[in-house]
Amino acid sequence: MEERVGQYWHRFITQAAQTSFPQARLELPAVKGALGVYFRAMGGDAGLTISSCSATLHNARRSWLHRLAGTGQKVELAWRDERCLYLPHSLDVLPSKTLNRDLYYWLAALASSGNHLSDDWLHTSQQTTLKTLVAFPGLAARYEQLVAAMLPLRPSLKSLSEAEKHQELTIRQALSKPGSVAAGTFFQAPRPPAPVYLWLHPSPPLAVVDLGVNEGATAGLGEVKKIAQADERRRRGERVEMPDDKPGAPFGVRHETSLFSFAEYVKLDRSAEEDEDLSDAEKIADELDQMALAQSQTSTASRIKFDLDLPSAAADDLVLSEGIRYPEWDYSKQQLQANYCQLLPMISREAKACELPEHLRKPCTALKRQFQQLAAFPRWHKGQLEGDRLDIEAYVDYWASLQQGQQPAEARLFSQKRPAARDLTTLLLADLSLSTDAWVNDEQQVIDVIRDSLFVFAESLKAAGDQFAMHGFSSCKRNHVRMHCIKNFSENYNAHIRGRIAAIKPGFYTRMGAAIRHATALLERQPEEKKLLLIVTDGKPNDLDRYEGRYGIEDTRMAIVEAKKMGLVPYCITIDSRANQYLPYLFGHQGYSWISSARQLPKKLPQLYLSLTQRLGP
Amino acid sequence: MSHHSNLNLVADDRTLKTPYYQPQGNEIALFEHAFRHQLPVLIKGPTGCGKSRFISFMAQRLNLALHTVACHDDLTAPDLVGRHLIGQQQTQWQDGPLTRAVREGGICYLDEVVEARKDTTVVIHPLTDDRRILPIDRTGETLRAPDNFMLVVSYNPGYQNLLKGLKPSTRQRFISITFDYLPADAEAQVVMQESGIDAGKAQQLVSLANALRNLKDQDIEEGASTRLLVYTATLIESGFDPVQACQAGMIEPLSDDTDTLTGLMELVHAVFD
Repeated sequence: MEERVGQYWHRFITQAAQTSFPQARLELPAVKGALGVYFRAMGGDAGLTISSCSATLHNARRSWLHRLAGTGQKVELAWRDERCLYLPHSLDVLPSKTLNRDLYYWLAALASSGNHLSDDWLHTSQQTTLKTLVAFPGLAARYEQLVAAMLPLRPSLKSLSEAEKHQELTIRQALSKPGSVAAGTFFQAPRPPAPVYLWLHPSPPLAVVDLGVNEGATAGLGEVKKIAQADERRRRGERVEMPDDKPGAPFGVRHETSLFSFAEYVKLDRSAEEDEDLSDAEKIADELDQMALAQSQTSTASRIKFDLDLPSAAADDLVLSEGIRYPEWDYSKQQLQANYCQLLPMISREAKACELPEHLRKPCTALKRQFQQLAAFPRWHKGQLEGDRLDIEAYVDYWASLQQGQQPAEARLFSQKRPAARDLTTLLLADLSLSTDAWVNDEQQVIDVIRDSLFVFAESLKAAGDQFAMHGFSSCKRNHVRMHCIKNFSENYNAHIRGRIAAIKPGFYTRMGAAIRHATALLERQPEEKKLLLIVTDGKPNDLDRYEGRYGIEDTRMAIVEAKKMGLVPYCITIDSRANQYLPYLFGHQGYSWISSARQLPKKLPQLYLSLTQRLGP
Repeated sequence: MSHHSNLNLVADDRTLKTPYYQPQGNEIALFEHAFRHQLPVLIKGPTGCGKSRFISFMAQRLNLALHTVACHDDLTAPDLVGRHLIGQQQTQWQDGPLTRAVREGGICYLDEVVEARKDTTVVIHPLTDDRRILPIDRTGETLRAPDNFMLVVSYNPGYQNLLKGLKPSTRQRFISITFDYLPADAEAQVVMQESGIDAGKAQQLVSLANALRNLKDQDIEEGASTRLLVYTATLIESGFDPVQACQAGMIEPLSDDTDTLTGLMELVHAVFD
């Protein structure tokens, strides 16, 4: 009974205290695509992704209703750092959807001029506003509308103390007339002013440095991954030591009279909790100001398949040569670090010659027929303007129309034998990292899908008579980038190559930049004129050391730019559902394809190859 | 389809008034020097940045005839040089535009030369070295180019890698000039001149075009060209609403993706009141 009353009270008071407009709520995913284009067109850094931010404490004065309800402590404001532009996950602070949408675009416009962090937030915000309004005069009307809608929603002057009133008036003046408040005006009031939605965050949380959370540690929790979080917010976190197992230790140390609040970190070892209900965990994550994360040294999963250590040389695949050194691009220093990565070409030790798997025979026969039409053997082309032989049928038609008094426009009376030669060669680079160990459906893993695709691709290209090569790559830090040679350009496709395809297995991580540079070097030595570099991947470039996030993407992009300069045509085929966040930046928006269902990969790969090569011309 | 229609022949521009051209750098002087010393010229630049306009301007200035050939994938060597036509009673030889230019003199301008096949392009090689001859196997002639003959080719380097390319042996026979979109003030001047629009609106259009060029390769393939700017300005000058004119003239031609179009329309609203 008490609980029920408590719930009613909670609902009533929260609704009474709320100052937002839920019917005018606008979510970020709805506008994210267009916002990205807008941000980049305004001059924003093209390498940033747009992501939702978490709410932060603002510590300003709250109305008594808010204090009674216990809400209104947090606010979502916008900010940016070197990787991401953070925008509120949803906006409902203004009375209409149009206004909330305009607010999103205004924040993106503000952020596009650069990352201004300074001590004088008031002055910087005004200057950024002025700069944006001068550069884009069409925004002036929108800005005025937003200010006019925003000012009535700010705390009323009657409820504030003298110092706070002065502070609030300054803010209002800075909003209505940006630039009118001089630099160096600091607030004297005890509390910060109420949050200003029209400006960027005054003190954004610093980016959490990812200390290389092991992909492998979470691979065992494959079930958990499936319950994907609907909103992937960035949350504040801190790294702490893993609690020791000694029971009873935490409570003994604390003084009994100190009451700790929710957000304080208590060293309770919760790793043994068997409760798989994660919806509660999500709610708790939302409410916590700051989450303490520790990395468990032991994996809780039962699958011991994952092993960070490299296999011993005797059990590993054969290394073909001394390591080849490749540079790597460091975007923060804007320079190429020479001889940074070591690449080891390898060949599978346990490959045994084999035949095409049973389930692929039928699709391959159909594809072979389709691809044989592309084959380069010479054919007679009729109806040409000139040629070695007279096309009798065409000549008879021509003569007949002349007799009738018609003058045919063109005299296409000849046949010419032309080899429909395709001066084209392809290198297929397959990502064989640990993420391919994931399951696509009940029977297949990603690695099985990739294996099938390689079979189908090889069969099709052999039928067409095109030159091709296939390599797989995975990496384990910068000095160990493994490049598995499945088929070289000079080798013929036969049962032996099929054996190598059958022997591929999931590797380590994805240091894509080094692999692309090696593939470029291999393709460059080929005599053909048109060179296609096909990259099949299932996720972002990442490796154990700092190769991930923006660093990994920038290095991969540099490798692709270098490949394009050599005259190669890079093209990416991915099954990563989040591909459109980073692939347009890497390959250009026409340089990649996303395959929604991984099982479709074997079917779609040859089709994509066909359309690409037709685009490349004869 | 007659093969004549594939080739744009602009026979004699001398009677037309000199077209307006805004210089970017030293290209006018360079072209004149190349003409006087009988050197061929290669012009490269993005679409709609003034390449063809420059050629017609120079043709007027140097008082030369201009023979333009729009190159495409089906263009063969006989299309350029000439072929025998089977007529009623006999076969007769018909000159191609290249041969006609060599016989009569003037500028022969091969537009988008990378679109033509490689074996077609090598036909022009003898004209580009100091011999300046055009051998015609079919008739057995060897024509010498007169002093007032000049060979000019152009292409868009952005598309070269994906589709076609010029062989190094062809590229190295030309003096090359790179064209790009003009700096903002000069481009506004061009837009004002071509469409008659006022300076304020021209500046706004140019700032919008420069914002769109930031998106090259990532969200759209190529930024807005000067030509699109002139079209849009013409629409605005004839009384059309500026935002709608930008939508039809500059945004819709660039992309088909809904998200991109929405974002770009917001940009138009940000530039125009």
